[in-house]
Amino acid sequence: MCPLPLRSYDVRLESEMNQPLDFNRLLRLKPVAKVFKSEITGVIRLTEMEKLFHIRIIDDAERERFSFLPGQFVMLEVPGYGEVPISISSSPSNKGYIELCIRKAGTVTNALHRAHRGAKVGIRGPFGTNFPLERMEGQSILLIAGGLGLAPLRAPIFHVTENRSDFRDVHILYGTKDPDQLLFDYQYEEWRRIDDVNIQVIVEQANDSWKGPVGLITKLLDNVTIDPNGTYAIVCGPPVMFKFVCGQLSQMGIPMDRMFVSLERRMHCGMGKCCRCNVGDTYTCTDGPVFDYWSVINLKEAI
Amino acid sequence: MKHLNIEQKRPRIAVFDFTGCEGCELQLANKEETLGAFLDAIEVINYREVSSEKGDNYDVALIDGAITRPDEIERLKAIREKAKVLVAMGSCACFGGVTKLKNAYNLDEANREVYGDCPKETIPTMAVGDVVTVDLKLPGCPVSKDEVERVVQHLVWDLPLPTYAYPVCLQCKQRYTVCRFDMGELCLGPITRAGCNAPCPAGGLGCWGCRGPAENPNYEEFFALAKEKGFSEQEVKDRLAFFGGFEDVL
Amino acid sequence: MLFKILSKDGFRSLVEIILQSNEIIAPKKIGTKADGDPIHQFLPVTSFEEMDLDYRTTEYSAKTYFLPYRENLCTFDFEADDWEQKIAYRMQPRAIIGLRAFDINALTKLDKVFSKGRFPSPYYISRRKNTFIVGIDREPLEDEFCQSIGADIVTHGFDLFMTDLGDRYFVAVDSDRGFNLLNRVDVREVTDEDTQAYKEVRKRIQNGFKTKINLSNLPNLLDLEFTSEVWKKWGDKCLSCGSCAMVCPTCYCYGVSEEVSMDFKEGARVKQLYSCNLLDFARVAGGHNFRPDQETRLKYRYYHQHRGFLEDYDEPKCVGCNRCGRVCLAGISPAAVIRDLYEENV
Repeated sequence: MCPLPLRSYDVRLESEMNQPLDFNRLLRLKPVAKVFKSEITGVIRLTEMEKLFHIRIIDDAERERFSFLPGQFVMLEVPGYGEVPISISSSPSNKGYIELCIRKAGTVTNALHRAHRGAKVGIRGPFGTNFPLERMEGQSILLIAGGLGLAPLRAPIFHVTENRSDFRDVHILYGTKDPDQLLFDYQYEEWRRIDDVNIQVIVEQANDSWKGPVGLITKLLDNVTIDPNGTYAIVCGPPVMFKFVCGQLSQMGIPMDRMFVSLERRMHCGMGKCCRCNVGDTYTCTDGPVFDYWSVINLKEAI
Repeated sequence: MKHLNIEQKRPRIAVFDFTGCEGCELQLANKEETLGAFLDAIEVINYREVSSEKGDNYDVALIDGAITRPDEIERLKAIREKAKVLVAMGSCACFGGVTKLKNAYNLDEANREVYGDCPKETIPTMAVGDVVTVDLKLPGCPVSKDEVERVVQHLVWDLPLPTYAYPVCLQCKQRYTVCRFDMGELCLGPITRAGCNAPCPAGGLGCWGCRGPAENPNYEEFFALAKEKGFSEQEVKDRLAFFGGFEDVL
Repeated sequence: MLFKILSKDGFRSLVEIILQSNEIIAPKKIGTKADGDPIHQFLPVTSFEEMDLDYRTTEYSAKTYFLPYRENLCTFDFEADDWEQKIAYRMQPRAIIGLRAFDINALTKLDKVFSKGRFPSPYYISRRKNTFIVGIDREPLEDEFCQSIGADIVTHGFDLFMTDLGDRYFVAVDSDRGFNLLNRVDVREVTDEDTQAYKEVRKRIQNGFKTKINLSNLPNLLDLEFTSEVWKKWGDKCLSCGSCAMVCPTCYCYGVSEEVSMDFKEGARVKQLYSCNLLDFARVAGGHNFRPDQETRLKYRYYHQHRGFLEDYDEPKCVGCNRCGRVCLAGISPAAVIRDLYEENV
């Protein structure tokens, strides 16, 4: 009996195909669609449009191994509804669960907003580049966010405040359209009480109860004095904000490759394959979402 | 306990027929393999073809057919009053459909031609949207049951509504169909809204545009290419007029 | 590379051996166009006679046997408030016979995206590794510009690659399974005479390329001509139908969506090939579209083919088969667009 002309090749033999993507173990072949099954353990209403979800990987070993760097994102799978890329908002040192701040914007996020504690979702990742905080050690740091931008900025804020002595001056600047849209408003006081952290919040339109400054986020920069040779900036928010904020930071003397921004595009895979977030040779999901501003202005379509 | 801890809704649905072949209505009762689940997900309040029950307490009205008589206008307006969501189902309801072809003729002549000595009361054919506000259009001749199922899934579980931001060509290509233009035929595929899964070209017939225009169609180039391939302006216009979806460019 | 000489009868036996236990995909004549040209497609065949290796071209490339238009990435079984995710990869081995050099080069480009790098795709790899590839060369069509791209010669990525020497095939062997299969049929060693005959045929094929495009400096030119009117000229013609990407042997962009059964007991994550020319390719949640007009989308198509991909993988994504140019009802052909860019024809 002759052997079969073509024998079947089982890719599952190549490695641990049935484990979720795991960046702490660099395997050659990964089951790219497998999710970490997780549970929503807590839901916090932030504003009309945004909620903060506490998400806990159910399997103990998987949860133990999961780690991320500030600025990275996960693909959040809501079975039946779809998958969305979401920046991680919690502290990288927090091992029990991750926090995702989610705005109601489409089918998947709407379903999430209706979901309750105990709901089972999936996460893949973490994906993408991170804010290079180790490079910023010993330097001053400006953490600037507009609107929903505080969600991705919250991870580096946690890192910086938890490791305060690794940095020189720390400024947190945050602005929104009106006071009702302020995210994590319960947390500013906590950050303000940390010794030697300057936090300022501004709104474009005040209401009766608003006591703070009024104007655009760039106005807050006027109150900040920096050493341009020893300062890094992290800027998160709508793309239009980058132009103004990074423009002003440039004038203050900060080199463009020391300003970091986080970009958002439509993503379907998170792995540089589907091309939906592709701009020329750059993939927002694998080359980003964190870019230095110099790279961004070279991406013709990014902002 | 439910998936994501979300409670499932059970929409109360009614189906009404106006002028048309009732094919769309029949289509709703098709696709036997999922029909049970389909009927389980909804509450049928009024649907002549599957149930003798009749009621007024519906949330969603599915309208089949075009409006061609004065009494239909009144009936449609009354339905609109009661329905929270009104869906135009099929090419007749969405655009006027084939019945709209009569608008090209003198109304009395058309009446005599069809009914002879017993003329009926008739008015120029209108789409449902010409009479009342339409919340959702599901064009197609007949309507696609898959799309109706997606709408029900949207109503029950908030799943996304079907959207197709591309013309029929893409779906044609995705099933290995030979381009009808290569076979020397006219085809409206390049400007027609996809979602039908291109059964006509696959079956050997160029697209007749029953689903109406795609999002942002490139008419200028389409007319140019039809001309270049030897189709007369009249031929193209007749094709575009057939289901009534392309009125804007006629 | 090992070379062997395979008789025509030997080739028939080889096909029949594979057919005994495996599916074969090969060019098959399925009809005739209005202008009299035959229509061939890569389809499953059940006998040696059904294959037509003298085909001119196929409207569709064979990429869909590696990247299907639609595939399930995973499925979900729903049960009360819980669900279970299941993932399956196709494992049945099969053969594709009759790929031209450029189509095999297209696969080696896809290999770079899907088999290598940080996130190799098990879906692709399982199909690729389970596909036995027999290529065959022929003289090019007039509008093919594979030579300018450097995709007219293939050196790897196949199991067997045959060149027709009239009464016999000159076969390049690039895998152990190809070698073993050949040894089961009428095959012999190459003589000097065979090599001479092979060189003659190669020369004829090489000289057959009539369409040339200039690729030197193209990546730079694409940057310089970012706002060129050439994009508007061709973009205005684009029907945004995605046909070009569907027939392209290397276009791999896709979208992922989720589908649920009518009773919400089963669900699937479905991957569907998409095209950068489609209206909503770069539309994001909330409605903003980064590329709302045809010319921008068309430009990024070329930008990815000839600049982005080149930057990432050191070669253009295009192989010069011109299937996109032939399928385009609006007559947009890459050779013409690139020529216009060089010559600034607006």
